[in-house]
Amino acid sequence: MGSNFMSELGSQGASSSGKAIVAEHLCKIFEITKGMVRRKKSQVIALKDVSFEVDYGELFGLVGPNGAGKTTTIKILTTMLIPTSGRAAVLGYDSQKDVTRIREKIGIVLGGERGLYTRVSAVDNLRYFADLYGVPRNIQDKRIKELLEFMGLSDKAHSRVETYSKGMKQRLHLARGLINDPEIIFLDEPTVGLDPEIAIETRSMIKGLVEKGKTILLTTHYMFEADVLCKRVAIIRNGDVVALDTPSGLKKYVMETSVVEVEGFGITEKEVARFREMKDIISVSADLGENKQVLKIQTPKGSEIISEVQEVLKDSHIYDIKIKEPTLEDAYLKLVAT
Amino acid sequence: MKYERMPNTLRVIYSAFRMAMLYWMADPQWIIPNVIAPFVFTTVALTLFNAYGGSSGPFGLYAVLGGGMMGMWGNTIYSSGFAISFEKWQGTLEEVMAAPSKFIHVIAGRSISNALFGLTNMVAVFIVGIFVFKISLGISDPVLFTISLLLTLFSVSALGLIFASAFVLSRSAQTLTNGLETPLYIISGSMFPIALLPFWSHPFAYILGPTWGIDAIRLTTSQQYASQTFWAGMGTSSALFLDLTVMILITAAYVAIATVLFKMVETRARTMGTLVEA
Repeated sequence: MGSNFMSELGSQGASSSGKAIVAEHLCKIFEITKGMVRRKKSQVIALKDVSFEVDYGELFGLVGPNGAGKTTTIKILTTMLIPTSGRAAVLGYDSQKDVTRIREKIGIVLGGERGLYTRVSAVDNLRYFADLYGVPRNIQDKRIKELLEFMGLSDKAHSRVETYSKGMKQRLHLARGLINDPEIIFLDEPTVGLDPEIAIETRSMIKGLVEKGKTILLTTHYMFEADVLCKRVAIIRNGDVVALDTPSGLKKYVMETSVVEVEGFGITEKEVARFREMKDIISVSADLGENKQVLKIQTPKGSEIISEVQEVLKDSHIYDIKIKEPTLEDAYLKLVAT
Repeated sequence: MKYERMPNTLRVIYSAFRMAMLYWMADPQWIIPNVIAPFVFTTVALTLFNAYGGSSGPFGLYAVLGGGMMGMWGNTIYSSGFAISFEKWQGTLEEVMAAPSKFIHVIAGRSISNALFGLTNMVAVFIVGIFVFKISLGISDPVLFTISLLLTLFSVSALGLIFASAFVLSRSAQTLTNGLETPLYIISGSMFPIALLPFWSHPFAYILGPTWGIDAIRLTTSQQYASQTFWAGMGTSSALFLDLTVMILITAAYVAIATVLFKMVETRARTMGTLVEA
């Protein structure tokens, strides 16, 4: 992006005092009604008790399995949902009372290929959202040009979005999220479904924004992404925050354990299930590919477990066994499993 | 008005209008509902009128203006709801609703563009009437005709906004608009004079802005029609003025109702989480 835009970004946020985001005991229960004649009501608890604070200029991560409550939390903070109980404040504004003020100052990037007007150009998309965010026309032209340059989309600025690759669409999503020069950016799984190369590129753009003083709340499924990017990470499970710390702080949960990584062929769900039943195994994650299967077994026994692993996998071909230091993913698996 | 000097509300309406127009242009399937369908409908109607008394005089006028209104009407009622379904399909509804602009202004821009596009079929219908059935529309006052037409367009758009609010919450709202399109079209007297309809339908007709709009449009095209209007005996100018005044008041009421409804459904959507339904 052009230097002007980046310097403009850098001047935001840091001067404010207090916390950029405050979530206090957020609870969200959805009422679901089924049937036309005999109406049956049921409840889905999306959030039980979620509390955390995010500092200005911080990149804060929210991780958890599907349905844990990450997106619900983001939607409450971005004023798109009203919590059943609890309080949320963004930039000091109440998420229920000061809806417009919050919306003017935040950017939202929801993951995936949707969320763009595909039959018009990137410029048309950005101009439209610039109008919806009340960006004056004289600023719009400059900002759209700079954002497209920053995102590497200048060459295709006037092409229909439907001709864009997945990565280009994701970059356009990010550009759209920055069109109002927000003080806080909410990124909901920004790298989901992207090629590794494009995901790396997207992560580097996110880092660049933090370096310029933006506050970012990121949700992700990828623990290494949270490890690399986030200053602090909250792990959500079943609508509760089960841990909140720096990535290195979270790894301490599994310091006394190690991870045995097994690569092989012929490993099935049956063997995975056997490992999960074994004593002294904290968690097992399995990537059962067609040509190769990879197991990550977390255990306090370290190398002592290798003979047991070989016994379980006696009918499979083992290519490699490694003992690894625990990662954030291992900490996550332990915290989510317990 | 220059774009830079537009108030923010107008700018949002204009921007939504522009985006809808860009989409219409990018997707030429609008030709079927906007040109071909009313073309066929008017041809059938004029043929029937021809068989029962000739297509000249007020019958021809009813058929041609009625066919045109049908396009504008159907397009707006259908498309205003479609505008929200479209945002859901594109996955842009959440992004649009998360913006600080009022959602009703976005839908208003789309609704006006839909009504304006509906006018394209009025042109198609006029061509059939004038060139195939040799109907003389005899617009006595082109300026008042245009004003009446444009005010009717806004009135139809405002009614479309009321229907659109239902789409924020429910996927089945399409059933509602599909079911109401034809009854509303008939009740408003677009094709037949209201006097021919059962008496019980008259109150419904009078609360529809387009009823007064089509009345005003007919007054600007035919001097003979003054005797058939609701304001019969008051003279063409007075009747036209009253038609337009009543329509403007009803349209203002539609906008007020739509504003309240949008606020209600937005709060409901934020409470129930129904926005996420695609």
